[in-house]
Amino acid sequence: MLNQGFMMSHVLFGVLGILCAVALFMDVLNASGKNYQRIKMLSLAVAVLIVISFLIGGYWYVTYYGAERDIIKAGAWPWAHNFFMEVKEHIFFAMLLLGIYLPIAVYKNIPLTNRKNKNLVLAICAMIILIGIFMEGAGGIISKGVTIGLRG
Amino acid sequence: MKKTNIKKNKNIQTAVIKNKTNMNKYSLGFGLSLVVTNLLNAVILVVKEVSSSVMNVMKAALGHHWTTHAVMLLFIFVVLGAVFSIYEVGAKWDSRKLMYYISGSVIISIVIITVYFLPYLIVK
Repeated sequence: MLNQGFMMSHVLFGVLGILCAVALFMDVLNASGKNYQRIKMLSLAVAVLIVISFLIGGYWYVTYYGAERDIIKAGAWPWAHNFFMEVKEHIFFAMLLLGIYLPIAVYKNIPLTNRKNKNLVLAICAMIILIGIFMEGAGGIISKGVTIGLRG
Repeated sequence: MKKTNIKKNKNIQTAVIKNKTNMNKYSLGFGLSLVVTNLLNAVILVVKEVSSSVMNVMKAALGHHWTTHAVMLLFIFVVLGAVFSIYEVGAKWDSRKLMYYISGSVIISIVIITVYFLPYLIVK
């Protein structure tokens, strides 16, 4: 039960991080003096949510994943671990670093009405969103790999 | 005469603002650190997967190779970011150049990681 709780909260915080990155992307597109406070808050929220997702996911991976990995590898979808989990766990670092850098880029890179500054933040948001979508898809395939492995 | 001087001064000021880098030293320093750390992520992955001795050292260091990998990257990101910021490395860079370098480093690291594990997707 604790295993499932950790896994679900890892996904929950990850999805919330992606959603905040989407909201930030839209706010930066329409950056002005009026929404600058919200832009700062959202950039911090993305960083915090991704770091929490990393900590929970990392703990789950190190503590619980071993047993599930064996089930996946013995099943019909061994590539769910051999490819998707391996790629996911390493590409996630790019998302984590982008997430941590995001508030630095927002707080220290003003004004965001400047086109070049705006594009930098937009590019970081876009990369977080795209990598995040891949993370969710890969996570789905890995959990399906466990289900298929349990069927035998 | 006075009007011409004022106009000249305004033009000079505009030119200075246009040529001035838009980036704060921390934004630039940690941005450059992000570029290096992203590429190192892929390099560390390939090295630890190829060399079993490196893998064993990483497992022994913090109990799991992935944990050691994560701590190494975060440590390098913070240290390099601080060093690049203090010494103002790449002081003439602007946001656009940094954006291209960050995007490039993310794409290169993703391609290396994906291509490295691609045979496992094809071969059972």
